[in-house]
Amino acid sequence: MDDDGPVIETKGLRKEFPGLVAVDSLDLRVARGTLYGLIGPNGSGKTTAIKVIVGLMRASAGEARVLGERVPLRTNRHRLGYMPQDIAIYPDLTVRENLEFFAGLYSIPKPRIGSRTEEVLKVVDLLDRKDGLVSQLSGGMRHRVSLACALVHDPEVLFLDEPTVGIDPELRVGFWRFFQDLKSKGKTIVLTTHYMDEAVRCDVVGMMRGGRLIAEGTPSSLMTQTGRGNLEDAFLEFAGRVVA
Amino acid sequence: MRLDRTLVVAKKTLRSLRHDRRTVAFVVLVPLLMIALFGYTFGGELKDVKVSIVDLDQGVLGNSLGKAISNDLANSSTLMIMEHYGPGQANASKADAAIGQVKDGKVWAAVVFEEGFSASVLEAIFNMTHGLPVEQAPIKVYLDSSNPNIAQAVSQEVQAAMQRVLVNQYHLVSPIVLDSEQVYGKGAEFIDFFAPGVMGLAAMMVTFMLSIVSFVHERSSFTLERVLTSPISEGEFVAGYALAFGLVGLAQSLVILTTAVLLFDVRIVGSPILVLLVIFLLAVGMQGLGFLLSSRAKSEFQAIQFLPLVLFPSILLAGVFWPLEAVPALLRPISNFIPLTYAVDACRSIMIRGWGIEKVWPSMLILTLFAAAMLALSAYGLKKRG
Repeated sequence: MDDDGPVIETKGLRKEFPGLVAVDSLDLRVARGTLYGLIGPNGSGKTTAIKVIVGLMRASAGEARVLGERVPLRTNRHRLGYMPQDIAIYPDLTVRENLEFFAGLYSIPKPRIGSRTEEVLKVVDLLDRKDGLVSQLSGGMRHRVSLACALVHDPEVLFLDEPTVGIDPELRVGFWRFFQDLKSKGKTIVLTTHYMDEAVRCDVVGMMRGGRLIAEGTPSSLMTQTGRGNLEDAFLEFAGRVVA
Repeated sequence: MRLDRTLVVAKKTLRSLRHDRRTVAFVVLVPLLMIALFGYTFGGELKDVKVSIVDLDQGVLGNSLGKAISNDLANSSTLMIMEHYGPGQANASKADAAIGQVKDGKVWAAVVFEEGFSASVLEAIFNMTHGLPVEQAPIKVYLDSSNPNIAQAVSQEVQAAMQRVLVNQYHLVSPIVLDSEQVYGKGAEFIDFFAPGVMGLAAMMVTFMLSIVSFVHERSSFTLERVLTSPISEGEFVAGYALAFGLVGLAQSLVILTTAVLLFDVRIVGSPILVLLVIFLLAVGMQGLGFLLSSRAKSEFQAIQFLPLVLFPSILLAGVFWPLEAVPALLRPISNFIPLTYAVDACRSIMIRGWGIEKVWPSMLILTLFAAAMLALSAYGLKKRG
């Protein structure tokens, strides 16, 4: 794929459920090395959009491409990392066993699994808990394990669905610092959040409402366009324009 | 299809089990408990069935057949004679009292010899030898048939005692003799018959239950979603689980086989490896069925509700405790659709008849097809995204 082309691209993406259009005419272009935030209230279609892009749901219309390959991916799945909204890890395995399992799914060579596991555990600051069962960890620690599982195979593109929900402010700051760090290493990150205040740290923000992208741009440009001082007010302004 | 990813899933599944001590206990102890309980309860012969005898027989020329049969019955280990009224003590009221004991549930049967019993028997023998019409002499047995097994055992004991006395005292032997030769199962006891059945049942029950609960958990905790965004194919994922639960089924079968051999002296005439292979195929198939049904359950609680639906037909119609011939003709076609039927039949043939793969292959083929179909459907079900 062309390195200058978008890492993620959707055209007219639509996802319908009986009696509900969850995502409607979504056109996204995310360039390499971008920290992209999909923001919007609960039920605005963020999670569904991500699930269609990572191939967990089939689009009703339109198409999505990741790393130039049309979704559902066949050849590029190993270059993608996904952290679902729920802490999707195995509670009856230890932290290390969870990481080894996810590393194994990506066929990381055995000798490399150990060192890679140590690396990501250092990042999420859980090295000393690696042999503890996940079921015995606190909620925040489980969040960190979940993030570590998405990173263990060193993906180029990361989809993080509400990665900061339910974690304490200190950890949230740590997570954002880490996202910036990944971005600086050339990784592309798409994350969803309904905390408008933290979306200001993204390079590009896409605002979703009722399944549609109602505005897109850098946080500062979105605030400038609406003449508002924060993203939340800017969002409300854009939402008002759509309704009007 | 890549084996390394399949092995990763199998390893993960077995590791999860290892950390869950209660589940390990469940996997090991359930089959152990099943074989031990079934072995001791079903395998035991009837002993000490309480019976009363009222012998009113006056005998002929000092020779009483009633007394002879009563004495023979008293030596039986199956029966325990509670009251024995011999000639002189016995009268009609004693007979009524014995029948009363049956009615009160104190004894299972009252055996009553009428006054002219010996005379009637001798008359019948005379008539028989002289070509005259024969009127058979009755032994009255008042039976509490609320337990058919016990009732049948009492009747058989009386019948056998009767035959023995006729042979001993009058040399009356039947002109026809049953000359049976056991082609298979020489010296086989009931436990030899049902040990293979219990083994299949335990493997089926535990793997199905583990599978359905595991997959509901995989779905509800969204780990399945996460896994499916990785390069692993649906087939590799399902095969990994199948391998893990197949091994669990094998481990259980080993527990059962060892217990059956050590505790109950169950003989394995054929190859134990072949038996284990049959169980492995059954376990893989049941794991697949559990997976398929798990997609219809929203919680572990709902998943468990499938257990009786699958378990009861298997217990009743797959020939575990009684032969398929005892299943009513109307229900027999259902037996043909139960995988356990083929597993039990194959294991029994291997263990008791000593059959090899050249003879049990049809059952094994059906089990293989069942397992393959379940795995393919499971993988297809995962592929079909909403």
